[in-house]
Amino acid sequence: MAYSDKVIDHYNNPRNVGSFPKETPGVGTGLVGAPECGDVMKLQIKVNLDTGVIEDAKFKTFGCGSAIASSSLATEWLKGKTVDEAAKIKNTDIVNELKLPPVKIHCSVLAEDAIKAALTDYKEKSAARVVGAAS
Amino acid sequence: MNYLEVFGLPRRLAIDADELQRRFYALSRQHHPDFHQGATAEEQAKALESSALVNAAYRTLRDPIARIEYLLRLEEGRETAEGTTVKPKAPPELLEEMFEIQEALQEATAGGLGAAARATLLAQRERLRQRYQAEERRLCGTLSQAWDNAPAGDRQSVLAALREALATRAYLRTVINDLSVALGEDEGSLVSNRRH
Repeated sequence: MAYSDKVIDHYNNPRNVGSFPKETPGVGTGLVGAPECGDVMKLQIKVNLDTGVIEDAKFKTFGCGSAIASSSLATEWLKGKTVDEAAKIKNTDIVNELKLPPVKIHCSVLAEDAIKAALTDYKEKSAARVVGAAS
Repeated sequence: MNYLEVFGLPRRLAIDADELQRRFYALSRQHHPDFHQGATAEEQAKALESSALVNAAYRTLRDPIARIEYLLRLEEGRETAEGTTVKPKAPPELLEEMFEIQEALQEATAGGLGAAARATLLAQRERLRQRYQAEERRLCGTLSQAWDNAPAGDRQSVLAALREALATRAYLRTVINDLSVALGEDEGSLVSNRRH
């Protein structure tokens, strides 16, 4: 199967590989996987607590080229977005940008799931902080 | 007609292997194209179709794991692997663990595999293999029995447990395979879905 140039570029030069300490305030972590292929993907966002803007994003993916490219692209897109804007990123946007073939659409779904999981984790942690501060 | 109905079986996971084989032979004879040579073209085509269905049904049902996967598809109202509506979810702790193993594996192989690292990976793979086998035993044993004995109200939770165990097995298989590749071996028997 032939990968698109964009997939190959992200695969060879993945952006934003790495991680943040999970417990840092403003960090949200999403860890998701696809049992069919055994891929695991960790995606993290770092939100500026004053502005609500995602100022940094990192990922680490163990999987195929499309899964790596999808999550690499996702971190690029996340940076500079507000949490609400980030929630609007759809797997189909990733499919279009990377020209993923139908058999690789599940990789983009995984990336969308990872974004959602990271956002949820961030929101839960900020809610817990508010509750903690109030009590 | 679904695969279980082909053999006149109820929607249960306990299937007697000998009985299944007997029914398979009987149906194969009945539908075999050789016995329909004098029939009309339409009848011959029908016999061929039935014969193919019987073969596919037998291949799926004689394998206890494939049987469970098939049951899940039936219960979700779809009979093919495509168009998955219910995503199998592994326990979050397992996902964490798989991630950590992959991370450690990447670090170990990046530095070239020394004798000590090799021994560590071999021991780790052995432990994972044992868990993989235990998961298969649980799927084909207690979990299959749980399905067969579940009252209607409990079926969804048993299906969820089956899905989770299948997901766990799939993750373990991948990581075992990745360890084997790192160790320079080919895990032919376990590889059914290589990454591409």
